[in-house]
Formats: sequence, C-alpha cells, structure tokens
Amino acid sequence: MMVGRSTKGISLNIVSKEDAGSIHVAALEILEKTGMDCTPKIAEVFRKAGADIENNGKRAKIPQHLVEEALRKAPKTILFGGRNPKNDVVLEDGRIYFGMGGTPTPYIRDLQTGEFRRPGKQDMVECTRLGDGLPNIKFLMTLAGAFDVPYEVEYLHEFEVLFNNTEKPILFSVPGGDASRRVLEMASTIVGGMDALRKRPIFGLYSETMSPLSFTEANENMMEFSKARVPIALGPMPMTGSTAPVTVAGCSLIGTSENLAAITLVQLVNPGAPVIYAGWGTHMDPVTTRCAYGAPEFTLGTDAVNAAMAHYYGLPCYGFGGCSDSKFPDAQAGAEVMMNAMVAALSGVNLIHDCGYLAGGSVGSMEMAVVANEIAGMVLRIARGVEVNDETLAVDTIHEVGPGGHFLSHKHTLKWVRDAFMPQLFDRTSEVTWAKAGRKQIYEVARERAKKILKEHTPEPLPKDVQQKISNIVKEAEKELVKT
Amino acid sequence: MEVTRKALAAGIDPSTVIEQGIAKGLKIVGKKFEDGELFLMHLVAAAEPSQKAIKELIEPEIKKRKGERKSAGKVVLGTVAGDIHDIGKNIVGAMLIAAGFDVIDIGKDVPAEEFVKKAKEVNAQVVGASALLSTSLPVQAEIVKAFKKANMRDKVKLVFGGAPCTTEWVKEIGGDGYAESAVEGVNVIKQLVGIK
Repeated sequence: MMVGRSTKGISLNIVSKEDAGSIHVAALEILEKTGMDCTPKIAEVFRKAGADIENNGKRAKIPQHLVEEALRKAPKTILFGGRNPKNDVVLEDGRIYFGMGGTPTPYIRDLQTGEFRRPGKQDMVECTRLGDGLPNIKFLMTLAGAFDVPYEVEYLHEFEVLFNNTEKPILFSVPGGDASRRVLEMASTIVGGMDALRKRPIFGLYSETMSPLSFTEANENMMEFSKARVPIALGPMPMTGSTAPVTVAGCSLIGTSENLAAITLVQLVNPGAPVIYAGWGTHMDPVTTRCAYGAPEFTLGTDAVNAAMAHYYGLPCYGFGGCSDSKFPDAQAGAEVMMNAMVAALSGVNLIHDCGYLAGGSVGSMEMAVVANEIAGMVLRIARGVEVNDETLAVDTIHEVGPGGHFLSHKHTLKWVRDAFMPQLFDRTSEVTWAKAGRKQIYEVARERAKKILKEHTPEPLPKDVQQKISNIVKEAEKELVKT
Repeated sequence: MEVTRKALAAGIDPSTVIEQGIAKGLKIVGKKFEDGELFLMHLVAAAEPSQKAIKELIEPEIKKRKGERKSAGKVVLGTVAGDIHDIGKNIVGAMLIAAGFDVIDIGKDVPAEEFVKKAKEVNAQVVGASALLSTSLPVQAEIVKAFKKANMRDKVKLVFGGAPCTTEWVKEIGGDGYAESAVEGVNVIKQLVGIK
C-alpha cells in the first residue's frame, strides 16, 4: 500500500538559514554552560555519556559533541502510521498534516447547548470519531479529557478511547515510565507485537519538558519510547517573559535548547530512535498572564522559528495551527486559526496540531474543529501554489477561443475545473439564497456538520478480542494504581 | 533595599516605611497595571524587591519592637505534591504582594499536610494551591480534607488554580475560590478576606 505524501509547505522563510545557525550555536552554549535539570534516571544517561553532573546530581551540562552526534543519529524521515495503513503518512521535508486537538482540555464546548462543561470519557469518544471523519485531519489528539475516570489511570483510559475510535495516526501524552510501558503494551496488542509496532508505529508519544531547561519524571516516558523505537514528538512550552526571555528569539532559544537536550537523551538511550522536532517558544499575554495561542508571536515562535530549526537539522517537526484564544467559534477564532494554520503550513511544519482549541487551550470545540478542517483545506491549496507550465498556461486554448468567446465548455476547463479548492463548509451563495436558507452563521453549519458526521461516520472497530485485551490492561492498571 | 535600609536607619517607624513607602509605590504600579499602562512583568519587578525588603529588613525590625506587621491579609501559597510547575503560583504571589498581602510561599511539590502546618504556624487567612497536571489536580481535594481533619477548615479560605482546575472542580472538592488567571485570583482573594 502507498503511504500518504502530502503537499510540501515550505516557502515562507520568515527565519533565515543564517539566523537558524545563530540559534543553534546559542543553544549549544546554553546546554554546555548552564545545562538542564534532570531526574536521577535521566542524569545517569547523560553522566554515562560523559556529561558533567552538578548540583547534587541534578544538573547535566551537556557537551556540544553529544548534541551534534545525536542530531546526526536522529532519522530524517519518519513513518507515522494509523491503525489502518491507508492512513499512514510520511513525516519529512516540509510535508504538512493537520491534527485535531492536543492534550486534554479542561472544558468542552457542549455540542448541543454551547455551554462550557467538564468533559468525560464519552466526550472524548465523540471527538475522536469526529476527527476520524474529517478529511483534512490526518492525525488525532483530543478536544476533551476523560475526567470521569480515576486520575491515576486517566491517560490509559484516554489511549483506550483513541485506539478504539480512530484508524488514523494518534499523537498523545502518557507521563512517566510505568504508564508508558502499559500504553506500549496496548499498541503492541493491536498490531501483533512490539516488533510490528517498531516497524509500523500506529501512534507517537508527545512529551513536554518543563521550561526553563528541566526534565521531569514525566519525561522518563521518552526513555521507554526510545527503547521501543516508537516516534516521540517533543514539545517544550516556554512562555515569553515568564519561563523564558520576553523576546520571540530568546523564548524559542529555550525551546530549542530543551529540544536538543531531549533529542540527545533519546539518541543516547537508543541510537536512531525516531524523534519529531519541536523547539517551541510560546507567548504569555503580559496583561491576562495566559498563554495566548492566537498571538502572532505564538505562531512565530512555535511555527516559524521551530520549522526553520527543524529544516536546519533536517528533522521532521511538530507545531501549532487551528487554535485560538476566542471563547466562541467566531470571527476572532477564524482569523487566528487561519493565521497560525497558514504560517505553520507555509513554514513547512509536518504535524500541525490543536485544530479545534478555543480559549487558549482551555476549551475544546467540535464546531471549531469542523471550521479548522475547512481552513486546513484552503491552506493546503495555498501551499500547493500555482503550477505554471504549457498545460496550465493554456496558450493554445486561448488562441482557439479568441476575443469575445468563452471558456465555459472547453475541454481544458472541464479537465482542470476540479483542481480548485471547493468549500465543504463555508458559504459562497448569494445574500438572497443565504437569507432564504435561514441566515445561518458558520458555527451553526459547523455544529450541524459535526452532528451529521457523528451520526454517519463509524470507524472500523477493533476486533472484539483486541478490545477486550486492551480493556483488561486498563483494568489491571486500575487495580494496581488507584488509591481508594 | 538600600532605600529601606536608609529609612530604618533614620529611625522611621517600620510600619510607616511599608505604608508610606513600599505599599504606596506598589499601589501606583498596581493602578497602572489595571489601566493597561504597565504589564505583569513590571508588577513582578516591583513586587519582588518589595517582598525582600519587607521580609529581610522591616519584619525583623517590627519583631524587635514586638509589634505586628499590618497587611491586607496572610496568604500561604504552594504548588501541590507531584507537581513542580510553579510559574503560575509565582505570578499570583507577586500580584498578591503588589496588592499589599503578606505572602508566604512554601514552594513546589508540597504535600497537603504542609499547607495545613504552615497555615497554622503563620495564622493565615487564605491558602492557595496550584496544579498544572490533570494527574496532580486531585491533590487539591486532599488539601481540603487535610484542613478538615485538622479542624482548621473554618479558619482559612482555600483557593485553587492551575490549567486543569475549574470552578466546578473547586465547588466539588469544597474549596472557597477559583480563578482562571492571576489577575482574577487577586480579586477572588480580596473578596474572600472582605476587601472590595
């Protein structure tokens, strides 16, 4: 079967190669001179490789050559599989893929009432099925957390939902080593063993270091995934002016440094393990103190700088698009989503995540995910650019039709008319038609579309015995880990 | 620090140094922040040295005179056990200092019992606990329980925050206040201690 190789989006070059070189050198200096705080387990990996460990075994000062070596070992092209191989995609060289949601949001915008409420496992089932049914969504994260299950096993329940309800590639978090081993066991059960999982991973790990410059116990998950050779997408979230310098460059430098440290860790544990670059610098609004997903600086840091660095290293990368600070799927949301989705795509970010996030990541909205899916379609069209050749210039056709004629029924027209982006959601009808049809705003149309997809689209379920085995892994963990 | 040292050396009453000096300055900064003229960073930059001057120079002086420091209220702040994300807590702390509160920061990865112990020790009116991870959020519920167990629940107001925290959650665990941002947090705490 052919794997998906999408449109390449590189063309904007907001950050030049020379500037990327400066950021790289600065990051090397930061890791060598100041270093990263580590857990004892992670510090031990760096110590064995020759790093100086200081501050009572906490601080690893990582020599430049370790980082450079790791960058050479990290694979430049990564197969990111779905449960169904027809959804497999290749991450490389600026090919762009949009993903729904991110890590669990504390609120979901209720599809019936429009109210914000605390989501549960069933909400996550619905979000996942919706994402599986949206054509421009190529990988799945979430728009809702499973907050109605015991928190000790929340991530296992969430993986159970994802594995059961989508055939597309999955990217998700699971903190720490123990929970990681359990999730890897779930995935290996689905594909028929750890070896099969390594050859065609059906999901990836999303692991955030803690800014500034710290590994936490949660990051020990990287070690397990590295051993298993299942892709790891990094994701530091330093914020301008609080956990990083206030400038986009300085903030992204913190993200770059943490990323290089994480890549080094992953390659030291298992050389050649797949790792997806994400040297982010996010933006804290200095008035509200919230992380502003819709800010231009957020996009510059997490997409423009991030992608420039990933291309400098020749590594696949992971960034943001489709997310907004608005509380409602409105004009602000549309503008912010188009901005970050477009910049991400034209910078050549491979995995563009958070489609459907509102309120700066506090609210998941299925309507917004449907709108973002439409925007992704427009962005993909722009990224494809303008093809200029004899066929598209159609010189002979123009000679043939001549002055005063028309192209309506010409065979060149019929051949090429479907090349244009056709809206699947947005409305291009006349004001009269729109008024007659009930004056619907686009979020209302999106809501109806979401409901329709949930009603009509059913992903292929896992075989019954596999479902049972996965459920047993969750139940076993519950027995062992849940304090009463 | 230098100005505070000089003021105290000149024999100015330490309470006056706070009220007429530090608090007055912070009030101006706070007002400008509210008006959008200054940003969070300016507020923190004003609050941090103020806190240092009060804790290191003025409070020892007040203690020497067997007096008590007047403040808008005593607030114990910490990041809950199992969590070391403390930037949110630090921001709230700085904003409370700027608003004239006496802030006792007990750090990160703090067990529920420590919150109780510190609140008792300093006679706090408000205790604030922050959590960033959905897996550490439940520790906030343990804090409420720990205060009940120590028969302290009616003596302190318990406020909670952090990315996964919500109004509903705080209601569910029996807390007194929630805010989705540091700015709102200060308002909530002011209301709880009866400052408008």
